[in-house]
Amino acid sequence: MKKWGLYISLFLGALVFAYPFIWMIFSTFKPDGEIGNIALLPIEWTITNYQMVFDRIPITKGFFNSLIVTSVVTTSVVIFGSITGYALSRLKWKGRDTLFSISLLTMMVPFQITLIPTYILIVKLGLTDNLAGLIIPTMVTAFSILLFRQSFLTVPQDLIDAARLDGCSELGILFRMILPLSKPAVVTVAILTFVANWNEVLWPLIVIRDQELMTMPQMVALFAVGGGADASIGAQLASALLLALPVIIAYLIFQKHFIKSLASTGLKS
Amino acid sequence: MLIGFGTLLVTGCGGSQNSQNDLGLEVKTITYWSAPNPQEYALAERLVDEWNQNNPGVQVKLQALPAGQSSEEVLLSAMVAGTTPDVCSNIWPGITNDFIRANGLYPLDKFEDFNEIMEERVPEDVVESVKAADGHTYQVPWKTNPIMIQYNVDMFREAGVENFPKTYSEFLKAAEKITQDTDGDGRIDQWMGYRDIRPIWWQRYYDYYTSYITASGGKTLFEKEELAIDEQASNQVFAFFKALYDRGFFPRSTLQGNAFLYGRIAVEFTGPWNIAYLENNAPASLNYDFAPVPVPDGFEGDTYTYGDHKNIAIFSNTEHPEESWEFVKFLITREADYQLLNFARQIPIRKNLLEDPDFKEYFQQNPMLARFAEQAAYTRGVDGVRDFKEILDTVARYYEMSSVYGELSPEQATIEMMGAIEVIREWNK
Amino acid sequence: MIKKLFKKINPGVLLSVPYIAHLMLFFVYPVVFSIILIFHRWDIVTPMEFVGLKNIERIFMDEVFLQAVLNTGIFLVLHIPSQIIIALFFAVLLNEKIVARGFFRTLYFLPVVVSGVVVTIIFQQLFSYDDGLFNQLLASISLPQVPWLVSENWAMPSIAMMATWKNVGLYIILFMAGLQSIPNDLYEAARLDGTNAWQRFYYVTLPMLNPTMVTVVVLSVIGGFSLFIEPYVMTGGGPMNSTLSAILYIYNQAFNFAHMGYAATLGLFFAAIIFTVVAMQRKFVETELYQ
Repeated sequence: MKKWGLYISLFLGALVFAYPFIWMIFSTFKPDGEIGNIALLPIEWTITNYQMVFDRIPITKGFFNSLIVTSVVTTSVVIFGSITGYALSRLKWKGRDTLFSISLLTMMVPFQITLIPTYILIVKLGLTDNLAGLIIPTMVTAFSILLFRQSFLTVPQDLIDAARLDGCSELGILFRMILPLSKPAVVTVAILTFVANWNEVLWPLIVIRDQELMTMPQMVALFAVGGGADASIGAQLASALLLALPVIIAYLIFQKHFIKSLASTGLKS
Repeated sequence: MLIGFGTLLVTGCGGSQNSQNDLGLEVKTITYWSAPNPQEYALAERLVDEWNQNNPGVQVKLQALPAGQSSEEVLLSAMVAGTTPDVCSNIWPGITNDFIRANGLYPLDKFEDFNEIMEERVPEDVVESVKAADGHTYQVPWKTNPIMIQYNVDMFREAGVENFPKTYSEFLKAAEKITQDTDGDGRIDQWMGYRDIRPIWWQRYYDYYTSYITASGGKTLFEKEELAIDEQASNQVFAFFKALYDRGFFPRSTLQGNAFLYGRIAVEFTGPWNIAYLENNAPASLNYDFAPVPVPDGFEGDTYTYGDHKNIAIFSNTEHPEESWEFVKFLITREADYQLLNFARQIPIRKNLLEDPDFKEYFQQNPMLARFAEQAAYTRGVDGVRDFKEILDTVARYYEMSSVYGELSPEQATIEMMGAIEVIREWNK
Repeated sequence: MIKKLFKKINPGVLLSVPYIAHLMLFFVYPVVFSIILIFHRWDIVTPMEFVGLKNIERIFMDEVFLQAVLNTGIFLVLHIPSQIIIALFFAVLLNEKIVARGFFRTLYFLPVVVSGVVVTIIFQQLFSYDDGLFNQLLASISLPQVPWLVSENWAMPSIAMMATWKNVGLYIILFMAGLQSIPNDLYEAARLDGTNAWQRFYYVTLPMLNPTMVTVVVLSVIGGFSLFIEPYVMTGGGPMNSTLSAILYIYNQAFNFAHMGYAATLGLFFAAIIFTVVAMQRKFVETELYQ
């Protein structure tokens, strides 16, 4: 009896979480007049919504822009985060703890304070309407440094000492020995950074005005809000689905890693 | 290192350059930015080609304003970065004040033949309205998109309304007949019209602002930079829309999809750009026409409306002001105006458009566009005051409170709105 | 020669240089500049104008900003408790011995990874008064229509609902991890004492979940304060400013109206509010833990 209740609740939950997506998928194949119908399946299947999206906005360009920006940022965050995390955990130097405290401080300062001056800085550097303007401010994050540092602290000192005796440079120690030992941390940082950066929409809205350089979420947001879709719900939903697709695919492939990373991060913080 | 790489990526395009053509003569190049939408860009291409063929010494390089959030922001950014073109034809009058304050525009009245050119083409009151506070003129009125009402002829006829309503009362009476529950499920699914009820500032062009211009007989919100709201007109407009929402003739919701195309609403506030849209997308059974915005009961005089003006301007860091002016003059010749009509389906701000023999035939063949051309002489734009967007945002808030949700009486709304606008102007002095 | 120089500087410092440079540019400079901006008026195109304390005066008279902050607070109050209860509920269910746990977990977590833009576009349709699915479902069982996004009483709750739907998967996962870390012996001991399931939940599970609970609350609060894209896309801040979040208001001031100085002031003010709330939370947590 209890088991039945359990499964019913779980299924209802599954329905609640899945239905909006399912509804979206089928609606994109309906002509606008039908979307209001309570029936799920289209009476008249059509792909005009997708045609409108591809006609009106360079959404594939948006996809590639997002891909470039997010990949570069993720790589950069992993590299610089691990380098700095290493410096803060396994090397002794004056000011080390101060720097670490400052980096913790930056995590506590809400982005609202830095938003506008950072924008002005980007304007002064001439990087508005430029993918670099999206990449550079997020190239290294205090969060990644924290995670890497925490992970590196668990590496046995003897290993590092041995490597130093062998004449390995510091960077060599980091990249050839420590990182391979810290795969979970790397994966966690990479996934979290990737997802957060891909979905980031406020910063691109501020920095990028040229449609050819917009990120995918930004383009879709403007398409839905700005009237580029001529009030066609189907087209708006189609653009939303296209936006969701890459992430869903990546998620389905990497889901185990996603969930494991989050769980372990949660426990640690 | 990365910043260096980034600078390489920066798409910088400056103003004028010089080069040499095949004959070894010095060629001056001027950059011209047009609006990005396909029709206007195609028009610009034609005009620029024609100019370039006839003027080997002055070549024009055409670029589309980057499509994006708003052309105003793009132009302001260009001004900050120093990458403005020589000429731009997508200047929204509301922003010119900001440009002028930044010393970004070239005073056109410096050119000798400026007054002559203006007089030949532009109606007098429009010429006056584009003069800046310092007495100079920095923009040439180019085209206008008058807001009118597009309506579904069949829906009106079926409801027993013979003539399109001219006054608010007639409009409300017609609305009563048209708004109904057509499929008998107890919920209304056919309305007189629909407006976006979200408090977005530019949406108000299509309800409050247009109607205010109409009800006040052609006034805008400011006069010579002082707030000068015609209270009676504002009250009437608030009350009119309030009635529409209170009585359910306009749905208090966010309808999705193009309701006009599907016959769910009978009227829509729109401009001549919609003609092309309807031609391409409307089902063959849709019978539509255009009529002027209704006036308050007892109103006398001409029916004015909002005419989303777009003007042409020359930027102050141009290296070739004389040549740029010649090009600007070319853009407003009769032939160019005709192309604007024929190709881009937009209305040039030219006097006596309908009587003009060069254009008469075109309008006979295009009656829909003729309706707008008739209206074009009776349009008003926006005031070039500082913070116009914020002011319209304030209007949007009071419109929402009073007309859409009925939380404030029209009179109270007008008074409080005026107060709020004064506060904004105070703060930003 | 350069190599010798490098060898002299402590490697730790050397490795940290990129980060320090980044910190200077994107943290120190903005914070300092932000403070300077408070005392100026600036629209980017014209030079900055010193205005003394005018911006600060203005904040204290700004009713709209006050409402925006309150709205953010209302959002948090609606969103966080519901999220905790729902997340805990499903976490407990998923912790039982069931088939296809992975399937359910994957599904529940899906909305978390998808962009907020997607979720907003979908729900804008679902919430539509005349055409939306929710009202149609209500009508089909003869219930009255709900003015989800077109009433000042329903709009923010609707957004809160949507936010819960989107984020609860993350917290389900966190709670699951937390639940799994509770040693079984505690339950065994409680069973031997003759307690029932509810009592075991209240006296064993909840206290042991405290650290996870703290994490969940802190993350939700920080996330809630940055509410922006949902009202931006769905309601434009309406009806009657009921969904105007603080960030949306600041965004409008800065990037629509070009009031950089005032926006910077608002930003710092709001940040101070966040700081206070988070600090109070930490105090509260510390006292709780000591019990």
